[in-house]
Amino acid sequence: MDELEEIKVTFFQECDELLADLENGLLAMQSGDSDGETINAVFRAVHSIKGGAGAFGLDPLVRFAHVFETLLDGVRSHKIDVTVELVRELLRAADVLADHVQAARTDGVVDEAASADMAAVLAALTASGGRIAPVGGVAPPPAPVVTPDDEIGSSFKPMAIMSLANFDEPAELPSLGGGAWTVTFRPKTELYRNANDPLLLLRELERLGPITVAINDETLPSLSEMDPEAAYLAFTVTLDAPVTEAQIQEVFEFVEGDCDVEITGGPAPAEAPALDIAALLAAAETAQIEMAPPVAEPVVAPPVAVAPPPVIEPVAEPVAPPAPASVAIEAHPEPAPEFTGVLASAIKTPQPKAPPANEPVANAQATIRVDPERIDRLIDLVGELVINQAMLAQRVIESGLASSSSVALGLDELEQLTRQIQDGVMAIRAQPVKSVFQRMPRLVREVANMTGKSVRLVTEGESTEVDKTVIERLGEPITHMLRNAIDHGLETPDERRAAGKPIEGTVRLAALHRGGRIVIEVGDDGRGINRKRVYAIAVEKELIAPDAVLSDEEIDNLIFLPGFSTASTVSDISGRGVGMDVVRRSVQALGGRISISSKPGEGSVFTLSLPLTLAVLDGMVVDVAGQTLVIPLTAIVESLRPKAEEVKGLGPQGAVLSVRDSFVPLVDIANALGFRSDKRAPHEGVVLLIEAEDGGRAALVADAIQGQRQVVIKSLESNYRQVEGIAAATILGDGRVALIVDVDALVAMRRRDNTRPTEPTLFAAE
Amino acid sequence: MSRTILTVDDSRTMRDMLRLALVKAGFDVVEAVDGLHGLEVLGGVDPDVIITDINMPNLDGFGFIEAVREGERHRATPILVLTTESDPEKKSRARQAGATGWIVKPFHPDKLVEAIRRVAA
Repeated sequence: MDELEEIKVTFFQECDELLADLENGLLAMQSGDSDGETINAVFRAVHSIKGGAGAFGLDPLVRFAHVFETLLDGVRSHKIDVTVELVRELLRAADVLADHVQAARTDGVVDEAASADMAAVLAALTASGGRIAPVGGVAPPPAPVVTPDDEIGSSFKPMAIMSLANFDEPAELPSLGGGAWTVTFRPKTELYRNANDPLLLLRELERLGPITVAINDETLPSLSEMDPEAAYLAFTVTLDAPVTEAQIQEVFEFVEGDCDVEITGGPAPAEAPALDIAALLAAAETAQIEMAPPVAEPVVAPPVAVAPPPVIEPVAEPVAPPAPASVAIEAHPEPAPEFTGVLASAIKTPQPKAPPANEPVANAQATIRVDPERIDRLIDLVGELVINQAMLAQRVIESGLASSSSVALGLDELEQLTRQIQDGVMAIRAQPVKSVFQRMPRLVREVANMTGKSVRLVTEGESTEVDKTVIERLGEPITHMLRNAIDHGLETPDERRAAGKPIEGTVRLAALHRGGRIVIEVGDDGRGINRKRVYAIAVEKELIAPDAVLSDEEIDNLIFLPGFSTASTVSDISGRGVGMDVVRRSVQALGGRISISSKPGEGSVFTLSLPLTLAVLDGMVVDVAGQTLVIPLTAIVESLRPKAEEVKGLGPQGAVLSVRDSFVPLVDIANALGFRSDKRAPHEGVVLLIEAEDGGRAALVADAIQGQRQVVIKSLESNYRQVEGIAAATILGDGRVALIVDVDALVAMRRRDNTRPTEPTLFAAE
Repeated sequence: MSRTILTVDDSRTMRDMLRLALVKAGFDVVEAVDGLHGLEVLGGVDPDVIITDINMPNLDGFGFIEAVREGERHRATPILVLTTESDPEKKSRARQAGATGWIVKPFHPDKLVEAIRRVAA
């Protein structure tokens, strides 16, 4: 049933939206905005998740959502007051609910104990009217705890199918009444008002077995006294079928209370004149026209009654429906559906307080949903266009046309247009960082709980847009930085109090555009970096020389070195043995940079800067052994033309380059990628000094530099296969494919291949 | 002639589920995302049966039903309410607003079609 699977996918998408709504609503409540609509939205989010989950039989999710919903219903109906403590629990519950959704999505399991605890807390809150159990009282008395098997359980999973089964059952049950049933029912006006119809009830009864129907029209007044919307008839039905009384009652399920029903077993009374159903149907049809009011659908009759103004004219009292009724019906057997204004006042129902239909819907969709693949395809095409335009430009130059020629000028305009299209298309795929930021409040709550710190998260610039390719990869570094800020940056409440700071620490997460890049800042108002300690650790771990002279900034940046971890015990929060070096690596893999600034006692700010897209790249185009290669500009520190004496041999293969009193290993790109096996003296070419992601430097040797260019990235993996040392490919203006070098892989390859002439040897050699 | 059903529900999942079941049963389906939208849609179609959710933004199910019943054109159109529980209080409120019957979620497609049959002329 793949259609159902598709709906399931939709359901989980919707869950994500609802969970976001839920969290936003709760956060609004936390900041004091507890108006009815906010609470309603929160309630609806949980309610809708439960509804959808029920449809897919996701029982654990349904059960938890039900307990949650019950509490929210109490809040909604003002039985439970909104307090800071309550909202905190609701936020926690929202997290557990998100876990349930995630578990359901991945067919995984949720932490049952945590879920049960949370459910217990919610149930206790519901029972106590919102009073929080005394501090530490996690598990309230078991009594009010809603267990899986109470009414929710039973009313949920089996019901749909079970009750259907009931329907098929009657055949097996031998006649209980012994013979015929007599069902007498007298519809009330409300029955008609709700668009129920005795005729349909009779039809349902007939499905149970053969029936005979008698109409009791004793109370039917004369036509002139008849209220067209009132109920005057009663029906006595004799049903001769082996059915149960419950089955008969079920027929009247929808009209319970809207009509008097009496069901008796045994032989039916014979006094009333019996009709067969066909006759009755026929009679009823005629009745609709001849004696419209009682049997006819109310809507048809009364509006017509007043329909054409000429007919109404003689009627002085527009409010009195009976008299004109028959007149009008004769005149207009067909109701005029478009009729609205005049008769409104003539109808006895109260004036509509319905909102006018032409009032704009509040959340009218001003956006459209587009399959992301279509946009990706468009971006690819625009990439082709850019390349094509570059090729055309090159041809024009090659053909020797003057740059002032009309062709060249036209081409310039084309170039501008192309660029605008590219920007425009990229903007379509751009997304606000909100989707990433939204996941963070929960993380902050969890880390705060685990560390016992009190933390307030402030976010700024949520609407800052970045290309989808970047958005997808922002989450991890931000997560790390936030964890780090809370775990290492912020002090414990006691320490903060001692330092005269507010007990609640603040962590700030901000996004902004700067210089064609997106900048993410994660700041805290904690203790700042303990430079003495960082320095000592770096020395202890042999990351720096014991007598190294470093600026404050350099010391701060030591924490990005691989193997550096300031926490004396690796906590399970920032921890798992990964430190800021991992963050830096993942950031650099995106062509980004990360830095830190810190003030002792005032806090630290991590600044992350990333390109706005991963679809295009600023690169240095170089020639290597007749090939054209692109080296990402972000990796390049500087380019230089070395002198022969600055190159020193090292071991059988290696060489190093002396750059301002330090030695950097030389990597001949042509050798490393296998374009050329013979050596070429580095001073004949150019050297690009690069900084690898691990902070290590290397000097890449190329034959010549063509220049800087923005290139469109084409995946090599998806178009060909992965090639070691190559990150991707692009197409140049002359139509040739140029490979984009993966600098880190290249350096790592070299290091591995060399028979490790280690650096101590190097210094010794000098 | 196939019958037209208007479904009013703010949940995309639920609308899709209803559509799947109803189209399979041979109905034409028209959708609205909340009560207010439902009233707008009713300006352009005459469904044989309306199925509506209760908890919706902008205009909830109760308000929607009341508005439909107060208008002229669809006063006699059967309205089925989708409820999550067989909550008697909710049912009676829905009936007071003018609902014709109800369907308990999660619904079995057969049960849904049966409920429509019971109220549709």
